[in-house]
Order: sequence, then C-alpha cells, then structure tokens
Amino acid sequence: MFHLQLSLFSKTKTLEADIDNFHNKLINASMTFGKAIDVYLREGRSENFKKISRQIKKIEHEADALRRSIENQLYGNNLLPDLRADVLQLTENLDRIINKFDEATYMFYVEQPEIPDEYHGNIRELGRLSAECAENMGKASRSFFRDLSSVRDYSQKVYFIEHESDLCSRQLLEKVFDSKLPLANKLQLKQFINEIADIADTAEDFIDELLIFTIKRSI
Amino acid sequence: MDISFWFYLSSGLFLGWSLGASDAANIFGTAVGTKMVKFRTAAIISSLFITIGAVYAGSGASQTLGALGSVNALAGAFMSALAAALTIYWTVKLSLPVSTSQAIVGGIIGWNLFAGKPTDIAVLGKIVGTWVFCPVLAGIIAVLLYYMVRFVIRHCHITLIRQDCYTRIGLILAGAFGAYALGANNIANVMGVFVSSSPLQAVDIGSLLTLSPTQVLFLIGGIAISVGVFTYSRGLMTTVGNGIIRMSPLMAWVAVVSQALVLFLFASQNLQHFLVSHNLPSFPLVPVSSSQAIIGAVMGIGILKGCSINWGLLGRIAVGWILTPVAAALLCYISLFFLQNVFDLEVYR
Repeated sequence: MFHLQLSLFSKTKTLEADIDNFHNKLINASMTFGKAIDVYLREGRSENFKKISRQIKKIEHEADALRRSIENQLYGNNLLPDLRADVLQLTENLDRIINKFDEATYMFYVEQPEIPDEYHGNIRELGRLSAECAENMGKASRSFFRDLSSVRDYSQKVYFIEHESDLCSRQLLEKVFDSKLPLANKLQLKQFINEIADIADTAEDFIDELLIFTIKRSI
Repeated sequence: MDISFWFYLSSGLFLGWSLGASDAANIFGTAVGTKMVKFRTAAIISSLFITIGAVYAGSGASQTLGALGSVNALAGAFMSALAAALTIYWTVKLSLPVSTSQAIVGGIIGWNLFAGKPTDIAVLGKIVGTWVFCPVLAGIIAVLLYYMVRFVIRHCHITLIRQDCYTRIGLILAGAFGAYALGANNIANVMGVFVSSSPLQAVDIGSLLTLSPTQVLFLIGGIAISVGVFTYSRGLMTTVGNGIIRMSPLMAWVAVVSQALVLFLFASQNLQHFLVSHNLPSFPLVPVSSSQAIIGAVMGIGILKGCSINWGLLGRIAVGWILTPVAAALLCYISLFFLQNVFDLEVYR
C-alpha cells in the first residue's frame, strides 16, 4: 500500500509538471508571436526575426514532446480514467494553437510580404489580440486543472478579445481592398490577415469545448 | 470432527461464496469498472478486510439472528442456508437486488415454523424495519458526504491530477472499510445459523491470539466469501456502478463510503456500547443488504443531481423485502420436511 501510494504520488507529480510546462509553452509561444510580428514590421526578415522564428519552432517541438508525454502517462498509468478523453482533446487543441503560431511565423519568414506602413498599426494590433486570445485560452485551460471557478473568467476574456480581433481584421481587410495596391498584394495581405485572425477564432472554438469539459468535471 | 459437519456447512460456504461474488462488486465495482483500481488489488483488499471484519466484529449482527431463531441442529442449519442460497439464485434470475440478509431471515423463520419454535416478533420487526431504513439512511449519508466533498473541492483548490490521485487512494481505503463493514455485518448471514450447532473448538494462533469457536466459524465463512470474490466477482465489478446513473470515481467514493458507514453502523458493537453509555439512541445490530444500501446511496446522489427517481428499481427493492424472506421460508419449511421424513435426519432438537 505504501509503495502504491508513493508511486501514485510520483506519477501525479510528473504529470502535473508536464501539464504545467505544456501551458507555459502556449503562453511563451503567444508572447513570442506578438514579438515576431512587431520585429517583422520594423525590420523585415532580419537576423533578429529569424532568431525569434527559430524560438517559436523550438517551442512548438517541445510542446509536441510534452503532449506525447502527457498522452503516454494518461494511458500508460491509467490516470484520470473518466476525464482522459477530455484532457487529451484539450492538450491537442492547445497544441494546434501553438502550431498555428509556428505556421503564421513561418509564412512571414518564407513569403516576406510587403506591408505598407499605413497597415502596420492594425496588423500589430491584430497580432497582439490573437496572441492575447491564445494566452487567455491557455490560462483558462490551466484553470481547468487547478481552479475550475476561474475558467469562466478567462473564457469571457477570450470571447471579448476574439470579438475585438474580428472587428480589427474586418477593418483591415476593408482598408486593404479599398487601397490602390495591386490585386496580388491585396490577396497576399488578406491571406496573412486571415492567418493571424484565425488563431483567435480557433482559441474561441476551443474555449467552447473547454466549457463543456468544465461542466462535466464539476461535481 | 465428524466429516458430516463439513457437508452440512457446505450450504453456508456456498452462500458465502455467492455473497463474495455479488457483494464485493458493490464495494469495488465502480473503482474497478473505471480502471481506477486493478481487480487484483481490489480482490486482495476485499478478501483480507472481509475476513478481518467477520472474525473481529461479526458477532453483533449474528446475535440478533440468533435471537430470531437459534437453529440447533446441523441438518436444520444446512437447509436454512441452502434455502437462502437457492432463493438468492432465484431472485438474481428475477433481476431483484440480491439480499443475503433477507434470504437467511426467511430461512430461519422457515426453520422456526417447522420446529414449532416461536419467532420473536419484536426482533423480526426490528430486522424488517432496518431493511427499509438501510437504503434511506445510505441515501441521506450519501447526500451529506456529497455536500462535504463538493465543499472541500471548491474551497481547497485541489488540482485535477491530485484529485485523481486522492480519489484513487480514497477508493482503496473506502473499499477496505467497506469490506470490513461487509464482513462484520454480513458474516451472520453466511455462518449465523451454524453458530448454535457448530462442533468447532477454540483455536490458539501462537500465544498472541485466541479465536473463539464462533470466530473460527466466521473465519471459515470469511474464506468462503474471499473465494467468491476471487473466482466470480470480476465480471460484476467491471459492469456494476453505471446501472442507475453514470458515476464518476468521486461519486463512486461517496456511494461506497455511505454504504460502508451504514453497514458499519448496523454491525459495530463498540459503537453501540458507546451510544448506549452516553444515553444516545443506538443502531440495532442487524445484517443488512449491501446491494440495497449502495442503491440507496446512488439514488440519494442521483436525486440531488436532479435525476428522476427510478420507481421501478425502488419497487423491485420493496418486492425483495417481502418476496425473498417468504420464498426462503417456504422453501426451507418444505425442504426440512423432506430432510426429516425422507432422509430421517434430525433437523431440530
């Protein structure tokens, strides 16, 4: 019995640490993404931007490894039998958001879009909103494991910020298509705007799922 | 010791085996079904604590059954236990919640009627009243425990992973307590009828422990129950628990602790002495149905969570209160007649 309790506690601690680290990765990825957009708008594909882009790739790799470790522990050690499917879904969702940060940064890296100065403010704002939305999604998800009562608070923030991001992306799209830019540039910018705004949309979709998991978890 | 003793005891052992097979699932069913606890761990803990409960604290409920009817011949005890076992088999077939207690009470009354011994109506009333009270009390305890657990979870901010760890340990501890209470409360059903006619002697285990003849009998019964747990409870354990409402491991813990507390309240002589010595109302020491206790607990939680009352299931429990003892009494009476007149055996003195 004593051995059983010890091994159970050590398994619990390892899993808890992995889940915590995984959430840290999402928050790091969202903050680094905001910085990447800022640097790109100021310096283009500079060495500094390349460094930040590599940082996001590294975070994405580490998050993948953590996700696999969490999945293995959950199934291998038979932990959380009744909520395992929900926890897996949640970690996969968070991982998808981290992937989206990586994809968007990589698009900037490869395509090097030319963004006229007049749109910098709006794009910076859109990047900030998407990053903030994902960060709050991460906080809501962390609360799911730590303190259920806070999930709703962070969810509400995600809904609000996603709405702001929607307004911002629409304004930006209208501005772009009202401009005299060549159609090819307009379409490229549209693709970038949608890619960034999609991060906030995805975070909002995942919050809906998280709220259902929360209802299932509350006793 | 006469070999015939073991033959007569076989019906009690069979009853013990079936109790282990069915009632261990009430204790560890959801824990094993949801894979929170391995079957092997559950079976070892159940067997160990059922046997300890039976040997150490089984005499209280047994004395109440003895007061109802002291079956004083081995052949009579054999038939009372066999009638109870066969009735249980039949009630299982009818999908009624099984109660060994109700079956054995029927068996004893059947023997009383056949032997022309009086049945103490006051004791019978106390036993039947307890049957009705048992699921209700389990439901009330479950509701109180549910509120307590909810308060702790909401105010102590226990993380999900830690909660899982604590629930797992809690289920093992609750299972051990449930098994102890089951052994203490239900051993009377299995071996109670043999107490008066048993030829067993006291046994010294080293210089530390001496088992009285009744305790030796209960130890044998405990082993029979354990065999039932190991050989036949696995199937039930993996399917039980979700029959009434879908249970989370935490709710399963609430249900098991409620059931164990009810069984303990109706089995603990120490608690009874404590309550009586402080001029408090005490619980009668009566064997009760662990299946009906757990149904009461689960229904208590279900009602609290807004699930509708399963009247069909309650009806089946109520039918069991009447049908099981009546059927066992009839079967015992008829069988005793054959045992006495066809096989020429002494079924009472």
